[in-house]
Amino acid sequence: MIRWYEFLFFYLWIAPHVFLAVVAVLLLNRNLVKSFPVFALYVWYEIAEFALLFTIATTGLSKGAWYVRAYLVTLAISTALRFGVIQEIFNNVFREHGPVDALARVSIRWTTGFLLIAAILVAIFFPGQTSNNLIAGAAWLGRGIAIIQCGLVLFLLLFSGMLGLRLQNYVFGIALGFGILSSVELANWAMHTGELSKPTARALNLLPTAGYHVAVLVWLGYLIAPSREILGPCDVPVSDVNQWNRELERFLP
Amino acid sequence: MSAAYVYIAIALLLAALLIYLAVRRRGRSLALDEARAMLNSLDIQAFRNLVNPEEEDFLRSSLPPDQFRRIRRERAWAALAYVRTLSRIALEFSRFGQAMHNGPDPRQVELGRQIVSGAVLLRLRALEATTRLFVVVAFPDVPHHYPRTLFEQYERSTGLLLRYRAPVHAQQEAS
Repeated sequence: MIRWYEFLFFYLWIAPHVFLAVVAVLLLNRNLVKSFPVFALYVWYEIAEFALLFTIATTGLSKGAWYVRAYLVTLAISTALRFGVIQEIFNNVFREHGPVDALARVSIRWTTGFLLIAAILVAIFFPGQTSNNLIAGAAWLGRGIAIIQCGLVLFLLLFSGMLGLRLQNYVFGIALGFGILSSVELANWAMHTGELSKPTARALNLLPTAGYHVAVLVWLGYLIAPSREILGPCDVPVSDVNQWNRELERFLP
Repeated sequence: MSAAYVYIAIALLLAALLIYLAVRRRGRSLALDEARAMLNSLDIQAFRNLVNPEEEDFLRSSLPPDQFRRIRRERAWAALAYVRTLSRIALEFSRFGQAMHNGPDPRQVELGRQIVSGAVLLRLRALEATTRLFVVVAFPDVPHHYPRTLFEQYERSTGLLLRYRAPVHAQQEAS
């Protein structure tokens, strides 16, 4: 049982970062670094963060408070980068559409404000265990941030869908990956403040890395998968074109 | 209830919503026939008449207040059905635009971008008109704002699509 758990624990810790390296290479190959510089930076940062934390954990350094400190500092940078990536996705989706871009900017500000209030209210009404240690404080903050990030991703997908904007495959993939990651992080931080039994907490300890693994696979999948075949102009028969023209001309003054 | 379970429930709900959006996205495709049928069913002149403020002034002056309010509500509901169709047509316009935007021809890519932007604005105008019409349904005595920008945007969008159809026609005739 212990060996199985340890195998899964290390697999879920190491494998996503190997896949993340593939994502980084794909971003370079497909010239997407220009369009998504913050996402590319986030990917490289996550790989470097893993290398640092893995080294600390597998050497004697983890016996002190080094690991916790390094973990919290790198997590703070990672969280800031995630906000940057979400903003970058918004910019990419709406930049080309003139007045809609301005509306999107205003909407994202209002939505962030609304989500911030929601996160504060949830924290007040469902505080969980109150403890003064560093991890409990980080968990309290982490839950709020996860709610805001997941809410922003959902808003992006719903708002663009409502306006009839179809996101490019990889843009949708990046957003979906971050959404999944944020929702899993919310559950993860909830466990840090909750009153779960030790075996349950131990089993659920695998959740954040499993969620991260899923998010990385989503990014990888959407980057590898070709864009779905959509009807090109030449696929329309001439008779259809004529009929369409007649229908459309009816509406012109 | 434990706070942890509340957060886990929220997280699961959010994850389920995201997965639903991903699955729904896969099922969508360009529906030419459906879009054409919608265009066919839309009588834009009848819609213009329904929201014409002059007609409403005439009705207001010639009908008793109770009857005017009832008729105005009915007209607003009918106009709402037209706006809904227009909004769905805008979605199809947007898909056409995106299909062109992903194409290899740079001129068509630019035209596709314009069609998408036009369709998005049309959706926004339709949303604005829907809100105003709901206000009329709730308060039939409130003066109604004629959705001029909605009609203008619709004409712009159909004009762009016509520009797209003409070169396609020429291209297909030639081949």
